[in-house]
Amino acid sequence: MARPGAVIEVDRNTPPVLFQFGEGVRLEKLPLGARIVYPPDPLEPIAHAERAIKRALGKPLEDDPLKSLLRRGMKLTIAFDDLSLPLPPMAAPDVRQLVMEEVVDMAAEAGVEDIHLIAALGLHRRMTADEIRHIVGDRIFSTFWPDRLYQHDGEDPEANVYIGKTAQGEEVTLHKRAAESDLVVYVNLTLVPMDGGHKSMSTGLATYRGIRAHHNVKTLLGSRSYMNPPDSALHHSCIRQGQLIEDTVRVFHIETTVNNHAFPSIANFMQKRETDWTAQDQAMFLATKQLTDFAPPAVKRNFFHAMRAPYGLTGVNAGQVDAVHEKTLENVRNQISVRVEGQTDVVTIGVPYLGPYNVNAPMNPVLVVCMGLGYLFNFYRHKPVLRKGGVLILTHPCRYEFDAVQHPSYIDFYDEVLADTTAPLEIEAKYELRFAEDPWFRQLYRKSHAYHGAHPFYAWYWAAHAMEHAGDIIIVGGEREVVHRLGFKCATTLEDAFEMAEQTVGRHPSVTHMRMPPILLADVE
Amino acid sequence: MPWYSGDRGPGQLARAIGGVVKDARRVRRGWHWDSPRPRTWPERGAVVPAPASDLGWARQEPVRTLRWLIQRGLLLPFTEVMAHPKVEGREWVRELERPVIFAANHSSHADTSLILHALSDRARDRTVVAAAADYWFKRPLLGNLVSLFLNTFPFSRTGGAQAQLNASSRLLKSGWNLVLFPEGSRSPDGRIQEFKPGVGHLANETGTPVVPMHIRGAYRVMPRGQKLPLPGPVRVRIGKPMAPQAKEGSREFTARVEKAVRALAAEPRQPEIQGGWIERWRALKPREPEYQE
Repeated sequence: MARPGAVIEVDRNTPPVLFQFGEGVRLEKLPLGARIVYPPDPLEPIAHAERAIKRALGKPLEDDPLKSLLRRGMKLTIAFDDLSLPLPPMAAPDVRQLVMEEVVDMAAEAGVEDIHLIAALGLHRRMTADEIRHIVGDRIFSTFWPDRLYQHDGEDPEANVYIGKTAQGEEVTLHKRAAESDLVVYVNLTLVPMDGGHKSMSTGLATYRGIRAHHNVKTLLGSRSYMNPPDSALHHSCIRQGQLIEDTVRVFHIETTVNNHAFPSIANFMQKRETDWTAQDQAMFLATKQLTDFAPPAVKRNFFHAMRAPYGLTGVNAGQVDAVHEKTLENVRNQISVRVEGQTDVVTIGVPYLGPYNVNAPMNPVLVVCMGLGYLFNFYRHKPVLRKGGVLILTHPCRYEFDAVQHPSYIDFYDEVLADTTAPLEIEAKYELRFAEDPWFRQLYRKSHAYHGAHPFYAWYWAAHAMEHAGDIIIVGGEREVVHRLGFKCATTLEDAFEMAEQTVGRHPSVTHMRMPPILLADVE
Repeated sequence: MPWYSGDRGPGQLARAIGGVVKDARRVRRGWHWDSPRPRTWPERGAVVPAPASDLGWARQEPVRTLRWLIQRGLLLPFTEVMAHPKVEGREWVRELERPVIFAANHSSHADTSLILHALSDRARDRTVVAAAADYWFKRPLLGNLVSLFLNTFPFSRTGGAQAQLNASSRLLKSGWNLVLFPEGSRSPDGRIQEFKPGVGHLANETGTPVVPMHIRGAYRVMPRGQKLPLPGPVRVRIGKPMAPQAKEGSREFTARVEKAVRALAAEPRQPEIQGGWIERWRALKPREPEYQE
């Protein structure tokens, strides 16, 4: 039985706590009385993944068995999530590979000749062939790449169709091949409650026109938080779009969940609570700390990005989207939920080296904001751990460092847009459309491996709720100029940051440290 | 009793050496070693060819292990670096249940290493390459060295159908796959030349399937007349195995193989040559692990 998550109060004997610090780690001593929120230990994975997948496809929820839906002469499309999930990338075999191999086996048995596999990457960057091979496995890659296994292109007018408008006026678009298929099988991996469900199809296979309906400041400010779908305007919008898609094309959803075993044994100390660290973990911490303190950024990046997570499958459900997603969310919450009593004046979070949008690339300052204020801050249900007007302290080196191939539009966003304003609403009104329609960014998104021109805006909007909620935001260890450009305060040490926070929240504030990753979802009462 | 047994002493040894010297002198005088060939002698006739050798030593241990090391350590990494070959259709050569003939277009000396690079380890270790006897084996040292590297055997281009069949069919029957370039020699301009009927004849006579292959880009890496390779991208496309049909003549089957190789050169995938996805998917099915009792 895996240990549930815990909230520990810091006393004299509490060891220093690990803070993620980009491509590095730090040990920090928290003030007495501060709370540390730890995620639950990894759940026991399913022993026979292939058998569980077969069972799920054979007895789907509120749908017919997949086998009975496949027939000779039909048009079948398999869509799957891109490399933004899971994080870090999963050690082979990826669960999506196992699921897709089973589906393709069934299709071969039924004699389905017309089959396509599409990476549903929405406005994310195109993956390299090796990255796709890692997700789908050698067998599928060798059989289908590149003519039947390819990536969604949200800017190809020939490859996308307009489906219609929802009752709320949200436009819906879909990949043409999916729209014209007799059956779409969507293979998803849900790591956090934000993923999966109707959002898979309505963002993964959509164009900018469809995605901007919910990826906007108003919707994201109305999502409290988007890690809890019932309270998320983003998800309500996706559901409306998804229902329209389901009326157009028959979709069979397969959703998988994994435990939170996010680090390989070499980085066990990142996975464990500090009180569980063995002598070996302490030695590994020291070695990692020395390496990351002295090694050049490129060496550190290679070291960190080479890590593959030994995730274990904890659930696989197939069938009708709503029934499937309900089960999926239950599985995810079982793994990541932690009960936290009440809010605090100060919340500290270490921002790790990796987020969904910088796989095999450095985390640029805009993505640091997206990760820290967007994702990590929003890992809550009911209400944020930070009280309204409290101080959020993040640790990250926050260097002026961009990947010119993956993030060209981010460079212009940082240099041009943030130099003008950091207010999400103003940015949206003034700049978004120009970037989204920029022919050069469009070309790079379509032909290179670049994120869409509108993507840095979404990364920024993701943080809008935290920016509005927090009274002050301090980045510890960041480059002063960069942090100021982002509109935040900069501190050299955590002690300095606490000192600065006192000006906003008064003397002797209550402090909570969210010890992530592995991911946790604070269930705040 | 040998001379070195010591029974007869040094006298016997001296006599033996004296005999050899005497014989050598006799031959030197008889054949005019130190003077020009006598004019009265008739013109020198054509050289009687040595009986054809199929270089059996190259397919035996420890030469096979040595070749494995040479290929893994030198040839394949060099091919990868120079051509970065993109291989399509590996599934057809992954699990070969019986020997096959690989029939590919031929535009460069790099073709053989590209084909070997495209094969699975298992298939590569059981593959011999037909090399033109009148080109590669004119100089014995070169021929033997190439055999050591690539497992070639001399393939007669001039000796008629039966001569070709003898050596090749013996190899096919003993479980070796055969790489054959049915054009006979390297293309002078990179384009595919007409196939010679040998491949069809061999397949028909031995009942061996033929795997059509097309190599694109090798001509740019090392065209005819060039001594050293230049780096360049190469694509190797492998079609599904083709077997001669009942009552299909050698020439008809050769024409069919030629058509397949030419079709593989075309840009989009060729499902009828490369197989539909279901066939390829099944060909890639992982082997069931064999449990020991």
